[in-house]
Amino acid sequence: MSDRKEKTFWAVVSLSLLTIVWFFASQMESMKTLLPNPVDVFKFLVAGAISPIGQHNIWGHILWSLSRVFVGYTLAAVCGIVIGSAMAWTKVGEAIIKPFYLLLRPIPSIAWIPLAILWFGIDEKSKYFIIFIGTLLIIMTNVYDGVRSVDKNLLGAARMLGAKENQLFFKVVLPSAVPQIFSGLQVGLGAAWATMVAAEMIRSSEGAGWIIIMGQNSVNMVQIYAGIILIGVVGLFLVTAMRFLEAKLCAWNIRGK
Amino acid sequence: MFLKIDNINKTFTSEAGNNEVLKNVHFDIKENEFVVIFGPGQCGKSTLLNIIAGLEKESSGNVYLEDKKVTKPGPDRAVVYQNILLFPWLTVMGNVEFGPKSRGIKKSIRQKDAQEYIDLVGLNGFEKSFPVKLSGGMKQRVGIARAYCSKPKVMLMDEPFGALDAQTRYLMQEEVVRISAHEKRTVLFVTNNIEEAIYLADRIIVMTNCPSTIQKEYVIDLPRPRDYTSEEFLRLRQEISSIVEFTR
Amino acid sequence: MKRLKINKFRVISAVTLCVFVLVWYLVTAVFGLFPKTMLPSPDSVFFSFIKKLTSTVPDGGTLFEHIFASLVVALTGYVIGVGVGLPVGISMAWFRPVDHFVRPVFDFLRTIPGIAWIPIFTVWLGIGLSAKAAIIFVGVFVGTVVNVYSGIKQTNEVHIWVAQIFGASKIEILKRVAIPSALPYIFTGLRVSLGMAWLGLIAAELLAAQKGLGYMIQVARNFGRSDLVIVGMITIGIMGALLTLALEFVERRVVKGI
Repeated sequence: MSDRKEKTFWAVVSLSLLTIVWFFASQMESMKTLLPNPVDVFKFLVAGAISPIGQHNIWGHILWSLSRVFVGYTLAAVCGIVIGSAMAWTKVGEAIIKPFYLLLRPIPSIAWIPLAILWFGIDEKSKYFIIFIGTLLIIMTNVYDGVRSVDKNLLGAARMLGAKENQLFFKVVLPSAVPQIFSGLQVGLGAAWATMVAAEMIRSSEGAGWIIIMGQNSVNMVQIYAGIILIGVVGLFLVTAMRFLEAKLCAWNIRGK
Repeated sequence: MFLKIDNINKTFTSEAGNNEVLKNVHFDIKENEFVVIFGPGQCGKSTLLNIIAGLEKESSGNVYLEDKKVTKPGPDRAVVYQNILLFPWLTVMGNVEFGPKSRGIKKSIRQKDAQEYIDLVGLNGFEKSFPVKLSGGMKQRVGIARAYCSKPKVMLMDEPFGALDAQTRYLMQEEVVRISAHEKRTVLFVTNNIEEAIYLADRIIVMTNCPSTIQKEYVIDLPRPRDYTSEEFLRLRQEISSIVEFTR
Repeated sequence: MKRLKINKFRVISAVTLCVFVLVWYLVTAVFGLFPKTMLPSPDSVFFSFIKKLTSTVPDGGTLFEHIFASLVVALTGYVIGVGVGLPVGISMAWFRPVDHFVRPVFDFLRTIPGIAWIPIFTVWLGIGLSAKAAIIFVGVFVGTVVNVYSGIKQTNEVHIWVAQIFGASKIEILKRVAIPSALPYIFTGLRVSLGMAWLGLIAAELLAAQKGLGYMIQVARNFGRSDLVIVGMITIGIMGALLTLALEFVERRVVKGI
């Protein structure tokens, strides 16, 4: 517990120090155009929480971004677990799916953006798709590794206790892969958030990425910095929420503690 | 005959050559008999148990349980492993009720049953604990309860206490005697510890090392609980030790 | 027997791929179910690829020129990112005061994707090589620090004790015990960062560039040239895979002895 207090203390100290350095740097003549005053950025964020920037206030933008991540990510998680399992647990599944997996994996999610726009236009569907495809391969990789690394002796133990072959997957393989699947879901969420920012920066009329790109278009450094901080804070929140969920669901695992 | 091991041979074939581990192994076990297979070295004993469990295939010979040939694993033969192999994502209760649950037995019935075995092995109060929180001895108690709870006809115990420290090992031996007096079962117990063999067995089958064959059998009719230091115990120990060749 | 089985699954893989290409061909070239701007036929992708090797239409560069431009940017950002990330990660893990001060800032910064920095870097550095390299730098830096940090932190305590008993100084223990034992993690970091570099590069080129693979697919999209978009994506995938292979080759050379 005191370890945690110490950590919080140092976090406060170092982040305050960073803000102070930032403040004094922004006061220098040569930095004026590059670095806005942190107080202005803070004011902008507070004002944005109440009155709208563009069409929505900050909460509205965050909600838009989160809803995009939610749709793409949920789809990717479900498909990733199903397809990854099929690829890892059945030989035929592996033979069918793996070639496509190997072909698609080295293509970064962002490289899909132009094709997604050609396919789905510039509305929500193309953003869902980009987030989906970027997250899918990450989750699939982890599900595949997790399912493959199931302890063969545990399977033997389950058989000897009378589990039938068709019960093995759901009663032994999948639960034993949960920690690894979870780490995939975690990394995937971070990637989904980053991809969302990219997608919004390239084409959108709202969202956290839009705030940044609008700041650039209107040469408003304060808004750019505010947008970046917003993205960081929400990202941090997502990561923490995921860790909390893991600790709840994987209590049996050392990693979960 | 209840359990018949009929002339089993087993050879592992690999690129490095053939490795003969079991040779003409042939014996019978009566119902509710506690048989210990004792022998030095790593060779053959566990393989024999796996063949009886149906987890490995013999090269030749047959295993019959109540005159039915054994071909695959089944809940009539439960195994207690040295490395225990609990399901880490299940609680103690979840592990013990795994077998009955797989067979679709109703929750109220199987949990009542499982509770009895958890009590029997002395883990009352730990039903909701996960294996990661338990000590080695406690884990093996769960392993034993889990095996009993699937109501096997034969218990196969593969050096179950091999990974425990000496003190816990003695304690667990006493526990096995107490539990098997309470729950009569046919037990086939593999060990390389001579004291453990004499302490537990109705009958000891001494096996040689690589390829394993049956060297000699001893019927142990000392009254239970047995005393490690009694004259009779020490005499048996001396005698069995003298015929076993320990390879270096 | 076993050999036969492996072949059976190979055959399934091959058949699946062939069926995929065939269906693709049928729905595009034969039945024309999709407009050309959405989904090109597989043969047109192939011919576009061949043509793009020498043609500069419509984006002003041949495929090789784009590849070269992308590689220069990606590797510049990567080398600097690793060069800075390694010492930062190591000192964060090894010296407590550094850990206290830098870690919270780092933990916050790492949740900001490299792409989000693009507007700031373009203001600071223009839209030339250095801005794009800086975007890549962010991703690479984060990926390197995270892995190096956890690698050094996981140094076996016993090894450190042994070194202390033999009278090694703190710096010596770091050099001779902690870093060598963290090498596998460090290489994981290098590999993860390479992926990040490639991703950041494409993002940067989509937003601000006049050359490079990301720019090429962006222009192709503007012209509705879906065939060129796919050529670009495949090239991006292949180049990414090749870079990873090269790094794995180096890793096998270096980590062998440990």
